[in-house]
Amino acid sequence: MSEAIGLVWTDDDLLSGLAEGSDKALSHLYRQHYPMVSHLVLSNSGSAEDAKDIYQETLIVLYEKVSAGDFDLHCQLKTFVYAVARRLWLRQLTLRGRSPMLRSAPMDDEPADDVATDLAEHQRRENQFAQMATSLDQLGEPCRTLLDDFYVRRLSMQAITEKFGYTNADNAKTQKYKCLTRLKRIFFKDYQDDDYQ
Amino acid sequence: MNADDMTSFESTLRAYGRRVAFKEKLTNVHQSLEADALLPVAEPQQPVRLWWNIHRPTLAIAAAVAIMTTFATIILYRSYQSSHKQDVQYSMMMRNLAVIQQTQNRLMSNIGGRGKVFQQNPGQVAGSGFLLTSSGYLVTNNHIVQGADSVYVQSQQGEVYKARLVHTDPTHDLAILQIGQDTAFHALPPVPYGFDARSSDLGERVFTLGYPREEIVYGEGYLSSSTGFRGDSAAYQVAISVNPGNSGGPLLDERGNVIGIITAKQITSEGATFAVKTNVLLNALNAIPPDSLKADPLLMNRRGRMARLPRKQQIKQMQAYVYQVKVFKH
Repeated sequence: MSEAIGLVWTDDDLLSGLAEGSDKALSHLYRQHYPMVSHLVLSNSGSAEDAKDIYQETLIVLYEKVSAGDFDLHCQLKTFVYAVARRLWLRQLTLRGRSPMLRSAPMDDEPADDVATDLAEHQRRENQFAQMATSLDQLGEPCRTLLDDFYVRRLSMQAITEKFGYTNADNAKTQKYKCLTRLKRIFFKDYQDDDYQ
Repeated sequence: MNADDMTSFESTLRAYGRRVAFKEKLTNVHQSLEADALLPVAEPQQPVRLWWNIHRPTLAIAAAVAIMTTFATIILYRSYQSSHKQDVQYSMMMRNLAVIQQTQNRLMSNIGGRGKVFQQNPGQVAGSGFLLTSSGYLVTNNHIVQGADSVYVQSQQGEVYKARLVHTDPTHDLAILQIGQDTAFHALPPVPYGFDARSSDLGERVFTLGYPREEIVYGEGYLSSSTGFRGDSAAYQVAISVNPGNSGGPLLDERGNVIGIITAKQITSEGATFAVKTNVLLNALNAIPPDSLKADPLLMNRRGRMARLPRKQQIKQMQAYVYQVKVFKH
C-alpha cells in the first residue's frame, strides 16, 4: 500500500485497500464515485437520501466481492459501480411502484451477466443477514452482547472475559459456544436456504 | 449438530459481523466527508426533459388521439358544411320586390284609392296564390306570408283585396288565406279546377301559372320525381322553369286538376322545382280549427270541369283564380 500514498489511486489500489479495510482507501473510493451515483439517482426522481443509500449498498456489493477474494474486474471500476447502482435503483423504483424507466442508459462495456450474478448473490446474502439480525434480537442478553462484541466489534476473548466477569477465557469460550448454538437454533427455526439444507 | 455445520454458521455470523462493521464505517465516511463538504451534491438536471422522457409514451398516445380528433372534427365540419350548402341550394321562390319595381309601381298612375296602399307602403315580398273555393279561400306558401303585418292579394285584372291569414303549416310550407271578408270581393263562379289527392305518375305533363313579375306567367313541364328535396315524400320534383314569385302557384296536370303547389327550386341543378303534394294540402285543410273558418265552410272542388278543354282554354278559365300575393312587413 505504500505506493498508494501518492495522489493517484488506481482501481486496483482502491480495491486492495478496501479488502484490507483501509479507511483512507474507502474514503477515497467513496469520494470518487459518489457524484456519479448521486446524479443517477437524483435525475431519476430520487432524493439525496436515496442516493446515499443506493451508493452505500453499491459499495457493500463491491466490498463483499473483494473480501471474498475472487474479484476479477473485467471492466473499469467506474463502470461496475455504475452498473450495480443503476440496477439497485431500478429495483428500488419498481418496489415503490413507480414506472421503472431510467433516463440513464447502461454503459457500453457493462458486464451485464456478471453484475446480475453479483446482485443475485448480494440479495441472497442480504436475506441471510436480515435473518441474522432478527435472530440476534430474539437471543436476549447477555448472549446478544457477547456475540456482538466478539463477531462485530472483534473484541478479543480476553477482553470479553473481563467485560462479562468470567473467571477465565475458557469459561467465556464455552459461554460463547452455548450462545452460538442457541442463535443457530433460532436462526434455522424459520430460515430456509439451499446452502444449509 | 455436527462441527461442520457449526463452522459454516459461525462463518456466516462472522460475515454478518463484517457487514455491520463495514456499514458503520460507510456511515462514518459519509458523515465525515459531508462535514468537510467534500461530497458534491449533483443537481437534478433538466427536470422538464426528465418528465418528458418518462411520459413520452403517454404523450405520444395523447398526441395521436388529439390528431385523430382534430381530423375527425375537420371532416365532420366539412360534411356538415356541405350538407348545409345543400340547404342553400334550396331556394324558395318568393319575390323580393326591389326598389326599381317599387318606383315602377309608383309610375303607374293608379288613381283608385286601393292603389294608394302600394304607393304609400310598397309590398316587400311577393308570391303567387290561388283560390281553393269560389267563396274566397286561397292557398299560398308559408314562407311568403310569415312575419307579415298585412297581406294583400291582387288579381290578374289588378283588383286588390285584403287577405286574412286563416292557417299556416310551416312544416309543409303552406298558408291558407281568406279574402271573402273583404267587401270589394264578389264571389266568383265555382273554381274550374279540381283537387286530385291521388299520387300522380312520373312523366305527367304539368303546367303552372304564377306571378314572377306583375303579369301572370304560364309555365310548362313534367313530373320528374315523386319525392322532393332530399327525398321529401310530401313533395314532387317537377321539371319546370320557375322564377322568384312563382311560389304558391298551382301545379296542374293535363286534365286541369291541381296536383301540387309550387314551393321552391334547387339552385344547383337544372330544372329541379319542388311542389307540395295536393294530399298534403288537403290534410292541412282538415287540420284547420273550425273557429278559424268563422262559419264559412271550406268546401273543395273534387272534380274539375276543364278535363277535356285544350290548354289555352284551361288557362283562360283559371287565370282569374290565380292571384299575386303581396306582403307588407315592418
